[in-house]
Amino acid sequence: MIELLSQTSWWVPAYGLVGAVITLPWSIGLVRRTGSRPAAYLNILMTVLALIHSSLLLWAVWDAPPERLLIPWLHAPGLDIWLTLLTSRISVGGTVIITALSLLAQVFALGYMEKDWALARFFGLMGIFEAAMSGIVLSDSLFMSYALLEVLTLSTYLLVGFWYAQPLVVTAARDAFLTKRVGDLLLLMGVVTLSSIAGSLDFTHLALWAQTAQLSPLVANLLGLALLAGPVGKCAQFPLNLWLDEAMEGPNPASILRNSVVVGCGAYVLIALQPVLALSPLALTTLTVLGALTAIGASLVAIAQIDIKRALSHSTSAYLGLVFLAVGMQQDEVALLLLFVHGLAKALLFMSTGSIILTTSTQDLTEMGGLASRMPATTTAYIVGALASIGLLPLGNFMAMVEWAEAAWVVAPWLMGVLVAVNGLTAFNLVRVFGLVFWGKPQAKTRRAPEVGWLMAVPMITLMIFNLLAPFILEKFQMLPNWNDPNRGLVLVLICSSLVGCGLGAWLYLSPEKPKLVGAIATPLREVLADDFKMNRLYQFSVVFAVLLGSRLAAWFDRYIVDGLVNFVGVASIFSGETLKYTISGQSRHYLLTLFIGILLSITVLSWTLWEWSPTLHSLALRAQP
Amino acid sequence: MLSVLVWVPIVGALVVAVLPESSIQVSARRVALAIASFILLWSVYLMLQFNVAESGWQLQESLPWIKELGLVYQMSIDGLSLPLILLNSLLTLIAIFATDLNINRPRLYYSLMLVLSGAVAGAFLAQNLLLFFLFYEVELIPLYLVIAIWGGARRGYAATKFLIYTAASGVLILVAFFGLALVSGLSTFDYEALRSHSLPLSTQLVLLITLVIGFGIKIPIVPFHTWLPDAHVEAPTPVSVLLAGVLLKLGTYGLLRFGLGLFPEAWSVISPGLATIAVVSVLYGSLAAIAQTDMKKIVAYSSVGHMGYIILASAAATPLSLLGTIFQMVSHGLISAMLFLLVGVVYSKTGTRDIGVLRGLLSPERGLPLVGSMMVIAAMASAGIPGMVGFIAEFLVYRSSFPVFPVQTLLCMIGTGLTAVYFLMLVNRVFFGRLPEALSDLPRVKWRDRIPAGIIAILIVVLGIQPNWMLRWSEQTAVAMGTNTLDRVTAMQATEAVENLEATEVPAVKVSLTLD
Repeated sequence: MIELLSQTSWWVPAYGLVGAVITLPWSIGLVRRTGSRPAAYLNILMTVLALIHSSLLLWAVWDAPPERLLIPWLHAPGLDIWLTLLTSRISVGGTVIITALSLLAQVFALGYMEKDWALARFFGLMGIFEAAMSGIVLSDSLFMSYALLEVLTLSTYLLVGFWYAQPLVVTAARDAFLTKRVGDLLLLMGVVTLSSIAGSLDFTHLALWAQTAQLSPLVANLLGLALLAGPVGKCAQFPLNLWLDEAMEGPNPASILRNSVVVGCGAYVLIALQPVLALSPLALTTLTVLGALTAIGASLVAIAQIDIKRALSHSTSAYLGLVFLAVGMQQDEVALLLLFVHGLAKALLFMSTGSIILTTSTQDLTEMGGLASRMPATTTAYIVGALASIGLLPLGNFMAMVEWAEAAWVVAPWLMGVLVAVNGLTAFNLVRVFGLVFWGKPQAKTRRAPEVGWLMAVPMITLMIFNLLAPFILEKFQMLPNWNDPNRGLVLVLICSSLVGCGLGAWLYLSPEKPKLVGAIATPLREVLADDFKMNRLYQFSVVFAVLLGSRLAAWFDRYIVDGLVNFVGVASIFSGETLKYTISGQSRHYLLTLFIGILLSITVLSWTLWEWSPTLHSLALRAQP
Repeated sequence: MLSVLVWVPIVGALVVAVLPESSIQVSARRVALAIASFILLWSVYLMLQFNVAESGWQLQESLPWIKELGLVYQMSIDGLSLPLILLNSLLTLIAIFATDLNINRPRLYYSLMLVLSGAVAGAFLAQNLLLFFLFYEVELIPLYLVIAIWGGARRGYAATKFLIYTAASGVLILVAFFGLALVSGLSTFDYEALRSHSLPLSTQLVLLITLVIGFGIKIPIVPFHTWLPDAHVEAPTPVSVLLAGVLLKLGTYGLLRFGLGLFPEAWSVISPGLATIAVVSVLYGSLAAIAQTDMKKIVAYSSVGHMGYIILASAAATPLSLLGTIFQMVSHGLISAMLFLLVGVVYSKTGTRDIGVLRGLLSPERGLPLVGSMMVIAAMASAGIPGMVGFIAEFLVYRSSFPVFPVQTLLCMIGTGLTAVYFLMLVNRVFFGRLPEALSDLPRVKWRDRIPAGIIAILIVVLGIQPNWMLRWSEQTAVAMGTNTLDRVTAMQATEAVENLEATEVPAVKVSLTLD
């Protein structure tokens, strides 16, 4: 039984894919009579199957050593590519989390997208999402992980662009795709290089190879940076962070997954690549610097947002920055732990956000207020999600942050500063959003706000319970911090930072006589933060500028130089023909003379000219004809 | 066996040409479709007859023709030509199927398409240099005519430009072939005889460079590419499909078969240059594509870029890279054919291809949603998204070229990113957004418009998920070609080393050798 289960581990991603394929008849309009609901139900069924299968698998592999499953895929001279799956407690646990969250998000979507005509397409894309993610978690091959990351890029593009008739959505989808593509492309360069110099692309093999590899510093650094770029793009780290913020134009149920597990997949690959990255000190330093920059920068940017989804999505970048730092400290366990608890908490926050957006039809924080009494379930979900996100109560992120702090304290004490800043700023931000949305007086859009239906409430409550149970789940996985010898100082600092953040937020946004924050911070600073540190300009002046300039140059050169030269030759030959025709007089003796000279000339030319030149003559003759 | 692929379409063309006048549209189309379907089935049959484990020529046919000239009607197939033959048969059928039902002068049109298919098949199968050249030239005439007669507004210009360029290409190739036959002193055009004959390096270089330019025009490589965008823009959709899908492959096929096959030593000398040309083609084509506003021009320039990958992998000339070359040829053939088909549907429904005008065509009720979805698939396949054939073909190209030309390979990879840029711009502008009023009552898209692209889409996905189903046919041939090149180059280097040694250290040996 156990054997059978682990042999069929590849079914787990396959369910989602099958679900996506099943929806095709509905999404391309072959089946119209039933509406698109059946497609959604079938997809949910497939996800349920995937969840059951992966849960059984988790039970099966719980006490078993990690097992690899090799599926031969491509055979070519000198290159064999295997799709390698690794079933271990961690990887299978990952699939359970992904399928469970996917199931919750899909049920949520049934309510959220109730009246959308393209329900089938949405569920098909969610199926691909789920399949790609569970594939990445199970994968033990860099090749497969890379391929699936690209599939995630594609499905993110299609999901963000789901409501493609709106102009903002179009640019958001484009930016999401291209930004991630930059990262993926660099990652591909790394993959190709690694495949050439290391032989196999299996993570297990790579880790062994990295121990003995002798690379020149230049190659090692370039390789490390290239491999780093993919996760940077996927996890929305500086400087490839803007897509996540713009991606909030897409449907909310997809955002739930995107902010919890999709970004996590990038980090998961990063963790697997960690031994190779360790070859390059520069890559590790870059990893740490980018992580720290994003963690603090994105937390600051989040505070300045007035779009509820964007305010939360920037904080996702910040938490992934913490994950990056954990990887940089070579604390893979901590990184995984943080990914897990952050995913749970963020998914809950986004579900609550989804309910708010559906009920109020707005995403603008300044148009909201007073929802606490009207939407109790949503409010509770938000509060639980917020508490689970910060280091205050012994919920998920508190545990992860304590572990993180203890690791950081040993490696580099200054990193504690980053953690304190992220935690404090996030606490402030979450209280700020709470104050603007749930507290205060209701406004026009929030006055009539009934609680959402059960299709959305049930997933929300379920996830809430999971968040509350997170410490027990962690205990089961033996991932809790060691309480025998806790560093009380660090815990205290963490709690204090949360309290300060919450207190400041409460003072500014919860007190009845709201002191106006607007005056407190200088306008230019606020604008810079609200505009993501003007990151758009950076893109505009670097990559976009270079590509546009290059394309204009190439087009100009093509039109005027290459084609111009060709046309000039053509025009010149026609012109000479046109001029020559005026020498025709109509008298037969002139014709005879011309004929005679012509024959003489051609004999001379033919005997002199090498016949390599004949193409030119050929073309001249043809040109002159019309 | 093989001759069927050449002569059935040509005889069929004669039949189509003399069909009776009554309801000629329907009958000409039906006969042409029947012949093309038969050819496709026959190609599949040949594929089943093909022995995968064998690397050399198979199913040979030989008939003396003009012995004095060294011209023998000699045909055979190997792992390099088999995929291209299948591609040709498939795309011919699809091109004929995708033809407008009310085309002018149907008899002439369908005849020319069939002749084109037969001539291309002949060129892929010919085992005699002169025979190859004959087919290579014969293929020009119908293509010139279909562009010149059924083309767009500037068809005269485009067709003449195409003819001049390709005629020049033909002449250069002929020069190289004659030169080879003369210099080698074999007075034959038999491929195998010439291949086993080794020429001095300098002679090889002269002939090879002539050949590279000749085929380079056809591929096309920058700066000889300028006929291609014009020809594509003016050509009717089915012709664009064949032009991008099959005819450009004649260039790369010739490069591999005759350039690499006959002059492996010289090839190893010029290959860094070729790789650089590949980089220029890839980046130039991709960048120029970004600046275009005509959908067909975007796809045409993208062809220039993507053919560059083929040159890159050919330059590396290892077994793996040659396999990657063949795969990329098929992959590009399928993807560009699909793109042109879809652009053709958009053009026939909206009457424009300007990405500044078109908008919101994905609109579910009044737009072209399914065509748009397929366009997204084709664009993503071209941009190398996994799960589709473009990804694994490009991955093979990069992976195999990297050990030989690391810098050039990395530069070429930027082209993949640029591909995403221009196709995303195209999809975003044309298919996303709100459908303007001006485009709101488009003619209905029939299933007939969707089926050709749909079939190709299925192939793209199937081969993307199971690349081995294609690779296995060519593996042995690619290995043989790669190892042969390697052997010849090593042998040459060994002789050079010996000569150097002799020249410097032991003059006595040389004397004794001359005495012998």
